[in-house]
Amino acid sequence: MVCARMVKHLRLPLLLLLLALAAECNSMSKPGKPDKLGCRSPDKETFFCWWTPGSDGGLPTVHRLYYKTEGRETVRQCPDYHTAHSCFFSKTYTSIWVEYTVIVEASNALGNTSSDPLTFDLMDIVKPYAPENVTLVVSIEDNPHLTIQWHTPSNIDTKSGWVTLKNQLRIKPEKSKIWKNYTSDTQTHFTIYNIELGVVYMVEVRCAIDNSAWSEWTNTTFVKVPNFPRTDNSFWILVFSLSLIPLLAAMIILILKRKTVKKYILPPVPAPKIRGVDVQLLKSGRSEDVINAMLLNQRFPVMMPWKDQNEDYLIVSDKETSYLPLEKNKIFILPVAITLDSEVQSKETSEVDRFLKDSESSSEESSDKTKSSQLLTKCPSTNVLNDEKANQLKGVTEKIIQPFGISGYVDIPRHEHTLEADYSQVNEVNGDNILITKKENVPHTLDTQGQEGGVLDDYSRKHSDSVNASIRAKGYIDWVNQKPKNPYVTGHSEIGVCPQLVGCGYVDTFPPPAVI
Amino acid sequence: MPGNIRSVSVVSVALLCLVFCSQPTTLDAAPLCTNAEAGCHVLSLANLFDRVIQHSARMHGISNDLHSEFELYFLPSKNQIGRVSRNCHTSNILTPNGKENAQRMAREELTEVILKLLVAWRDPLWHFHQSMTHFHDFIDFSSNKSLKMSDMVHELRKGVQKVVEKMQMLGILSNSVSSLMSPEAFLASGSAEWRLMKDYELLYCFRRDSNKVQNYLKILKCRIVPEDGC
Repeated sequence: MVCARMVKHLRLPLLLLLLALAAECNSMSKPGKPDKLGCRSPDKETFFCWWTPGSDGGLPTVHRLYYKTEGRETVRQCPDYHTAHSCFFSKTYTSIWVEYTVIVEASNALGNTSSDPLTFDLMDIVKPYAPENVTLVVSIEDNPHLTIQWHTPSNIDTKSGWVTLKNQLRIKPEKSKIWKNYTSDTQTHFTIYNIELGVVYMVEVRCAIDNSAWSEWTNTTFVKVPNFPRTDNSFWILVFSLSLIPLLAAMIILILKRKTVKKYILPPVPAPKIRGVDVQLLKSGRSEDVINAMLLNQRFPVMMPWKDQNEDYLIVSDKETSYLPLEKNKIFILPVAITLDSEVQSKETSEVDRFLKDSESSSEESSDKTKSSQLLTKCPSTNVLNDEKANQLKGVTEKIIQPFGISGYVDIPRHEHTLEADYSQVNEVNGDNILITKKENVPHTLDTQGQEGGVLDDYSRKHSDSVNASIRAKGYIDWVNQKPKNPYVTGHSEIGVCPQLVGCGYVDTFPPPAVI
Repeated sequence: MPGNIRSVSVVSVALLCLVFCSQPTTLDAAPLCTNAEAGCHVLSLANLFDRVIQHSARMHGISNDLHSEFELYFLPSKNQIGRVSRNCHTSNILTPNGKENAQRMAREELTEVILKLLVAWRDPLWHFHQSMTHFHDFIDFSSNKSLKMSDMVHELRKGVQKVVEKMQMLGILSNSVSSLMSPEAFLASGSAEWRLMKDYELLYCFRRDSNKVQNYLKILKCRIVPEDGC
């Protein structure tokens, strides 16, 4: 019994002792000051406040919010603590254009601590929630454009005119760092036209009530702008590569056959070349071959053997040529192959004609035999050279030249039969009085002595351009001294004027020296 | 002779008639032209409402700027605990302080409130501007907003009056409002109070009242002509 009474008396101090001990051990204190008090109205009709509690001081702490409105002195407590450390004011408790003063008090067993008061008017704390349901629609039909649509926050009443929303959106390509802002007043849709194809865009939207603070940005929405199908690169790459193959093949062929192509484009210009001459043969250097090549294969024009004019002379004497009138001291040159046909005869010079006429008139005794020679038509009528006479003339030629005092020397070729021949042997006509007879063979060396006839034959048949070209019937001697092209061809042998003429007795020939 | 007198009397009667008949029309305020006459541009009620709402929004914006500029210029130490009992001289005007309250109020009442507010602020703003003229730097700093503000209040009041007239003409509004139109009635009552207000308080009060006007006009518009924009 004594113990029970003792315990009773000791209960209170014991408790106090325990408490004191406990307090000393845990350092309990008043709660810390609630901090960061804030209030926000998302719709201009309600609002809520929040705070950050301080330390609780080790004891269970209770936070209370008290507010006071302008014009009313009563302090009221938060009508609704619907979440921890926040207070919600419904429409009933919300008034605009009145000043609120809000304070939060933390209290525990040891005391209370109040926060700083917050004074505000509702119109100053309006800040809406972010817009909802942002949708992006890309269209690349005609003009590529992006249509952005969104909804206003669900808690806002826009029908009454109490709230006027304005919106703002921002867009940027995914890889860019710079946002582009666009303002849309009350519309909840927006169209952007300057978009690039194949780029991913990021879009964010926010809104504001009247002139209040802007809401938060919405979550980023991504959209990819597709490329035009027809500008698909792979198609064009395929086309390009396929067209490249034949091009490459053509180039390879061209390179391989470049010589042929070069020949085709730039045909080779033929170098100068002598027909029948082999350049290689010339290069080999054998003179005989060269000479053969140069000369044998060539076709030289038919050449009459000719005589050096300086060396052949004719003596025209009066004795032999009785038909010649003494008064006539003319020197006559008759070309080798003169055709003394009647037609040709007419072309002769007047002097010859005159002479012939004279001779004609003067000589009637001419034999008819010489007609066959047809050297001078007129001649035969008068002084036709007959064969005997020709022979005689030949013999005359062998004789030593007897100077003839009256006239000069005439170098006249002789010819006989072939002049009787028909014109089938004539190769060409060169000049008025000249007929070039055909002769393919190279004239051989002439032996004036023993082969006069042959020579004469040859003479008659051959033709020397040089001789004929220079002979004029005008009565002068002009033998062109020309080298024989063929060394085998001798020059002319004795030159006989038309045998008929000789036979006619006009001239007498010198025995021509052999000309080689 | 009698013929002459007769004609003269007829003419004089006609003239008198013309004079008297035309007078009533001139005595009244010039009505808004209802016919599409040349040179008379008819505005719809919705257009008028939009105009005054825009005007009021601009006015509120200026008052808001001026208030913060004043605070910045004259009162850099912002923390004034227990700042004010807002003794605005318009406190006696009963104004709805919420959306539902404003919607529940009758059109005429709401219109009256708007007009009362606008009328009540004409003189105080003018005097405020006058008192600010000594502070040339502040005037430059604020780009002479005080003058703009006082002008705007005046213009807005006239605009709202136009709207009221139109509404009354259309029969939307009863004619009971017109009796309160004269500004002298407002000035007479409580006119001295505003002189006691400090300038800073005055600016705060006007900022709030301009916001009230703007919101009331919007509510009114969306109730009367609920077209797009509400």
